[in-house]
Amino acid sequence: MLIELSGVSKIYNQGRANEVRALTNIDLVVEQGSMVCLKGPSGSGKSTLLAIIGCIFPPTSGRAAIADRQLARLPDRFLTLHRRETIGFIFQRFNVLPELTVLDNITLPLLPLGVPPKERKERAQQLMARFGISHRAEFPAGQISGGELQRVAIARALINNQPIILADEPTAHLDTVLSWEFMEIMQQLQAAGKTIVIASHDPLVFEHPAVERTVTIKDGRLHAS
Amino acid sequence: MLLNPWSLALTLCSLVVLMLGAVAGKTAARVLRFWEPGSDTNRQIRLENEIWLSSTLVAYGLGFQIITLILFVLAADQFCQVIVGAMCATGALLANPYGMPALMVKLFGVFFYGFWILLHQLDIRSEHYPLVRIKYLALLLVLPMLVLDVSLQTLYIAGIKPDIITSCCAVVFGETTGTTTNLLTTGYSQQGLLVVFIGSIVGLMAMGWGLLRRWQAGLAGLYAAGWLWYFGLSLVVIINVISSYVYAMPYHKCPFCLLKPEYHYFGFALYGALIPATFFGASAAMAGLVRGKTGLSGVVDYYQRFAVKLSLMLLLIFSGLSFYHYLKYLITGGEG
Repeated sequence: MLIELSGVSKIYNQGRANEVRALTNIDLVVEQGSMVCLKGPSGSGKSTLLAIIGCIFPPTSGRAAIADRQLARLPDRFLTLHRRETIGFIFQRFNVLPELTVLDNITLPLLPLGVPPKERKERAQQLMARFGISHRAEFPAGQISGGELQRVAIARALINNQPIILADEPTAHLDTVLSWEFMEIMQQLQAAGKTIVIASHDPLVFEHPAVERTVTIKDGRLHAS
Repeated sequence: MLLNPWSLALTLCSLVVLMLGAVAGKTAARVLRFWEPGSDTNRQIRLENEIWLSSTLVAYGLGFQIITLILFVLAADQFCQVIVGAMCATGALLANPYGMPALMVKLFGVFFYGFWILLHQLDIRSEHYPLVRIKYLALLLVLPMLVLDVSLQTLYIAGIKPDIITSCCAVVFGETTGTTTNLLTTGYSQQGLLVVFIGSIVGLMAMGWGLLRRWQAGLAGLYAAGWLWYFGLSLVVIINVISSYVYAMPYHKCPFCLLKPEYHYFGFALYGALIPATFFGASAAMAGLVRGKTGLSGVVDYYQRFAVKLSLMLLLIFSGLSFYHYLKYLITGGEG
């Protein structure tokens, strides 16, 4: 298995008056090349679980391993390195930098890796051609449409060829057509061998035929898969 | 003397370092008791987060404490202006019984604190936390030294009385024998000392070169011991031989006046090469002791080669500086 969570709990502000138990004793296994949807209402703990899988922060207790390595528990200097090699993120609002061009946004994750400019551009051009946004390469990201923005975010998540793609409510700000288009792209990526975990409460996502398994989270606990 | 700006700066720095040390000491006790690598418990995960911050703060704190050696000598040099009889840091440090011990503890502290920082630096270069237990055990051993360091420094500063008459360096490091204040090591011939000094330099160079060609643990240990010997020898040679040539005065043999502006702060360059060279020379072998820990072999190998190269480079600089005034005197015959 690629992702293995065992007895994972997350408590924010532990021991303080404003303590919040976000996750309780989560067990989850995601096989390589599969697509899993984390379903649940707002505040159920989906994003927290995604953040633990994505090594944004460690669990309060329990084991969260990616390819048998507990990435979130690595010392800081290793964590950043391994996270950017292993995980691609697609955020709810896509989090592109509006002043930068589409090309610069997509190549951004390669800058700290020291990839030469020529190679950065070549890799970005391949992805832009794949997602049909080559004609927008030199446009500032703030001036393109929502659908194009979504594809920029996906291209940026794939630029370093990470094996795992995590998406947090990716269709929350998209219409039905664009949401469907997003899921089509995810299906293509899954077919190409990527492991995909999507947190969403959009039926269009968790009912999509490409989604192999839906995991429901409620009040920080895992329910029927 | 506690309200003097130098005293305030020193005391404040040391108190902050001591406070960081106390906080880290608490972490150390928990690490030694509860550290379980591989465990997924809440306590272990919290400890992993805690040691990251705690170790970083201690590393900076100890680094700062190393710098207080320079501050301490500079402060003593300033104090001499208000102490009757003192002409430089020598007199100021002998103004009460705590000055010289404080200096000695600070000097040894450079190595102890430095070794801890080295352990920390090696530890954070592996993703397996291989030295956490050793590092925190070492911290518990370093902490009493830190307390002693700060205590002696405070006792020294608080105990300075401007009306107490002390001795100047000409007396302390003078040729007059039979006085209790004379710190000069007499009885050695300058030529004899120089021969041993040059022999030691050649020996260290040969051992360092040998280590760079083929690393051997035994030779590394010998190299470290050689550096500790050379450090002590160098201090004797600086006092007995080098200083007179720097001052161009045969009877002036003070190791502290070298730091004064009238001698172009020559002492800072001299000690600034000798102390780090000794540290890197000795630490190359020390690092080898943890080479077998998970994920550290490559890191230690790299550090050992780096440390030997750096110590050899600093040895060359120190040797050049040591012989500069001596050779200048021989070539010019003392003119110009």
